[in-house]
Amino acid sequence: MTDEAEILFALIRARYGARLDEAQREDVKKVVEAIVRDVTTLRAFVLPDDAEPGQPFVPYRAES
Amino acid sequence: MSADFRTIRELGADIRAGRLSPVALAEACLARLETTGRKLNAVATITRERGLAQARHAEQELAAGRDRGPLHGIPYGAKDLLATSGGIPTSWGAAPFRDRCFDYDATVIRRLEEAGAVLVAKLAMVEFAGGMGYRQPNASFTGPGVSPWGTDTWSGGSSSGSGSAVGAGVVPFAIGSETWGSILGPATYCSVSGLRPTYGRVSRHGAMALCWTLDKLGPLALTADDCGLVLDAIAGPDARDATAAHRAYRYEPARDGERRFRFAVVRGTVEETEPSVRATVQHALDALRALGTVEEIALPERPYEAMARIILWAEAASAAERFIESGAISGLTAPEDRVTPYARDAILAKDYLKALRLRGVVAREIDGVLARFDAIVGPARGTAGPRLGAEFRSAIRGSFADVLGAIGNAAGLPAVGVPCGFTPDGLPVGLQFMGRAWEENTVIAAARAWQARTDWHRRRPAL
Repeated sequence: MTDEAEILFALIRARYGARLDEAQREDVKKVVEAIVRDVTTLRAFVLPDDAEPGQPFVPYRAES
Repeated sequence: MSADFRTIRELGADIRAGRLSPVALAEACLARLETTGRKLNAVATITRERGLAQARHAEQELAAGRDRGPLHGIPYGAKDLLATSGGIPTSWGAAPFRDRCFDYDATVIRRLEEAGAVLVAKLAMVEFAGGMGYRQPNASFTGPGVSPWGTDTWSGGSSSGSGSAVGAGVVPFAIGSETWGSILGPATYCSVSGLRPTYGRVSRHGAMALCWTLDKLGPLALTADDCGLVLDAIAGPDARDATAAHRAYRYEPARDGERRFRFAVVRGTVEETEPSVRATVQHALDALRALGTVEEIALPERPYEAMARIILWAEAASAAERFIESGAISGLTAPEDRVTPYARDAILAKDYLKALRLRGVVAREIDGVLARFDAIVGPARGTAGPRLGAEFRSAIRGSFADVLGAIGNAAGLPAVGVPCGFTPDGLPVGLQFMGRAWEENTVIAAARAWQARTDWHRRRPAL
């Protein structure tokens, strides 16, 4: 388990650990590791500075 | 006259010729739902009262010369994540919500009513549309969805009942939803046609939110042509859903055989499939050359699947925040759904935004690629239907590859899945046609041309 995964898992254990038995904690830990693998891949991909999120916010105005 | 396995067009012709009564048709579907539908765990709620009232109304209107179009008098089932009024429960497949009722109809339900369609059932689905991270088919209070093609084989999810009810000839069409694979997957495993519309083509008002920027609603039916007829009824802008695009849609079936298509196959997408699926998909791609050109292409190296997963899991964690953090997930059916959602707190905001930023880049790149083609073709699902008791592999959890699904869903592109053969074990295999945004008519035309030359969609399971 990477340091980052350990830290993130500690956060989840702090929030929800009381609800989980040992086997469930191991299950959650595996999912955290998978998330860290994915975000590590994403972070390694360099985007141009002007690449904005693909889902822009649209201001709202009620129809009168 | 049997209503089983007859298309919307065939049933509509019989109704208008006076050979079939909408009430008799609804009764036939209701009877099949009670027997075959329940046997396949495809049913959440049978809506007998509402269905028969709508069927009687349709019969009266048609007799009086008022014709609402191709769906008038045609029964259907809706995935149980679409809100329905009148005391009909909307469970989202989740045991804690099995008796929960809304006091309004989802826009899709309302539009189908306006088109004269007859709601005969709310169909079973994977709890929370799979948004809790299920790993095996038994993830709904209605039990694991069963494919009509194998009593021990999963129907696929999360639109499990929508796939198996159409695949078993119980209803002529159904509404499903797809965030990543939930229409094309069940369509494949149940050997039916399924249409995932462009994101924003169909209003999501009244539908359970799994992932706001990925969720799409679409039809499953016996043919791609029928999918087009249903899309025509449900598409269009909606003041109740800000993401519903201000674009009109009309299904325009062209005459088959006139058009030559330009297809692209993305390098690696066939090789990534399970061996039992690969030969059938390859054979189908070879056969497509009769319809036009098939060119192998390479896409830029991008973390497509990681991008789609992070968007999906981050939004799902937020959409179901109250349900997860309250601990109410302990009431779900699948043991893994009761605990693994907690892990999503590990997704940091900056990483989610990175995935959204990459999505914008990918959407432009893939549109540039698709501008040269009518459709990208490939496997609709890389695996054959898994056994009911087994853990299945899935790109959503990172245990299987699905580049086309990741790109298509993240970029919001339309795709049609159609039957293209069977594995050596007799399980269905599907082919998908994925097109540019708003090009549903192009991908449906391609799928229709495929179905004009093949009979895979006319094969029936031994029930």
